[in-house]
Amino acid sequence: MSALVNSTLFRRVSKVPPSYYLLVVLLVILFVARPQMLNANVLGVFVRQVVPLGILVLGQLLVMRVKSIDLSGGGVILLINYCISSGIFPGASLGFYVVLALATGLVIGLFNGVMVAKRRVSAVIVTLALSIVLIGFVQYLSSGKPPGDVPKIFAELFNTRFAGLPSPVVFWIALTALMALLLSQTVFGRFVTAVGESMPAAHFSGVPVERTVILAHTLAGLMAAIAALVQTASIAVGSVRVGLDLPILSVAATILGGVVFGRGEGGVWGPFFGVLCFAFLFVVMTMFGVGDAGKLVAQGLIILFAAIFYGLRADK
Amino acid sequence: MNFSSSTFGKLLTGRGSRQGLWLLPFAIALAMALWLAVTTSQFGQWSNLANLVAQGMPLLITAVGQMFVVLVGGLDLSIGSVVSFTTAILALDLPGYVTIPGVFLFAGLIGATNGYCITRLNVHPIVATLSMQYVVLGITRVLRPVSGGTVPEGVRWLVEGSLFGLPLPILWGIATLLVAWKLLYGSRYGLHLFAIGGGVAACSDDAARNFGIPASRNILLAYVICSLFAALAGVFLAGRIVSGDPNVGLLMELDAITAVAIGGTQLSGGVGSLHGTVIGVVVLALLSNGMNLLNVTPFVQTAVKGILLMAVVALQSRKKIGL
Repeated sequence: MSALVNSTLFRRVSKVPPSYYLLVVLLVILFVARPQMLNANVLGVFVRQVVPLGILVLGQLLVMRVKSIDLSGGGVILLINYCISSGIFPGASLGFYVVLALATGLVIGLFNGVMVAKRRVSAVIVTLALSIVLIGFVQYLSSGKPPGDVPKIFAELFNTRFAGLPSPVVFWIALTALMALLLSQTVFGRFVTAVGESMPAAHFSGVPVERTVILAHTLAGLMAAIAALVQTASIAVGSVRVGLDLPILSVAATILGGVVFGRGEGGVWGPFFGVLCFAFLFVVMTMFGVGDAGKLVAQGLIILFAAIFYGLRADK
Repeated sequence: MNFSSSTFGKLLTGRGSRQGLWLLPFAIALAMALWLAVTTSQFGQWSNLANLVAQGMPLLITAVGQMFVVLVGGLDLSIGSVVSFTTAILALDLPGYVTIPGVFLFAGLIGATNGYCITRLNVHPIVATLSMQYVVLGITRVLRPVSGGTVPEGVRWLVEGSLFGLPLPILWGIATLLVAWKLLYGSRYGLHLFAIGGGVAACSDDAARNFGIPASRNILLAYVICSLFAALAGVFLAGRIVSGDPNVGLLMELDAITAVAIGGTQLSGGVGSLHGTVIGVVVLALLSNGMNLLNVTPFVQTAVKGILLMAVVALQSRKKIGL
């Protein structure tokens, strides 16, 4: 096996995140089986569905690059969805909700960051526990029933188009570009890379490790809040089950995009295409009549193979 | 002089201990039991206690298995699916002498695959076991899309029957703890687990190997043990619900991790104890039993469980930042 792994061809092939290959394969399958589906309108609808996931992934890749993880997204989405749809803020404007959501995300992200970096609590546990608390809290407030309707303006905004593309998709691409700039052009971006490579080395080189981790988590919380707004706009009703599988899917898409704990070869666009893969994967599988069970198996195998693909290359 | 370096503080926070923080959860469990016994009349009744044991048993078995993996700095998220898978297999129309060994064989294979991916193919434990969770859950839903089928009569008796006047669930618990105790404290293997985990926690993964301990093999075995315990919990649950259910194990891995963490086992590895895990299970079991007795909605129970987990984990101290 090691001869294969060390060969030039494998090294060259494995430089590209698995998400690119998978996306090409999926598009070819779509092209062969349903050529009429390959137009901007139909694809736009599919892609629009995964925008919340895509935004959540932007935060996830940030924390995964500093060897942490954020599983609290499900709770954040549920909480913000509840705030908007339950009518506890009668007559509130769109701006109020956006500020409320961002503030919520910021506080939750900051809490995660401080717990992980200062208190040195396991990130899996603290974010998972927070998610459990938030989910329990929201379900208690709403007695387990869907709370109500979302103000119309959310759905209207969600359905607009910008330059021929659905505006959520444009928004997602812009946000991804911003994140790419943040990671490649700023000092913070370099700190993230340094911390991911080796925490002791970064510490001894004067990188503020704790502060970098806290900031990464805070940004991840913010991204979760934005994802919550988009998700709420997309379903346009209150729900007590919305977005619960998104954190796990975001980890999967990030890995598929070539960002594994501490290593960020895939950059920001690798995970971006990882999310697109999930969008088309479900389309292709539905097309071939694969049921939910088959989708779960495929999802699991894809994550596993993507991770093996990276693991084989990593020097022990 | 800060709190955590005083003798009392050391004992309370488990700093520097191999067994981790278990005294505080023990006090919590004791306080909860006393409070429940005083405030509710049903708590102390024999039927409620028997129910408590039977309800907490799957959690105890899975948590004990999970502890082996956590001790080497890993995490197994696939056990919930393994539990569901086990009940689905047992509810197939096949005799028990075929399905029961088959279940453990499959579980062993699942654990070995997890371990192989983690140790040889360099996949992160969370990623490997998460994908295994999906794959196994998918297969379970193919086998049994909705709950149904019947479990062999023998399995039912193993859970509901009694031997020498003792309800059998108690014997399941004793057997589980004896096996785990032997593996952890009565064998060289257990010592190796602590050594490997201690190295992982200190960010030097090959510390144990430098002392001549075959780390990969032992870690792989820990995942196999974890899966086998999950299958055991599945057999127990199948006997209790008397049918196969693809969703019975849903989120069970989280409860198991919660119990292990409450019991003072550190998720970075190397620190933890069997009695701590038992205490963690008791705390969780008392929590849900007590809240049921006090008519608290399950949603609040979820939130309280989360807060408890966070509080207990925040009290532990470790060096590593991140996962």
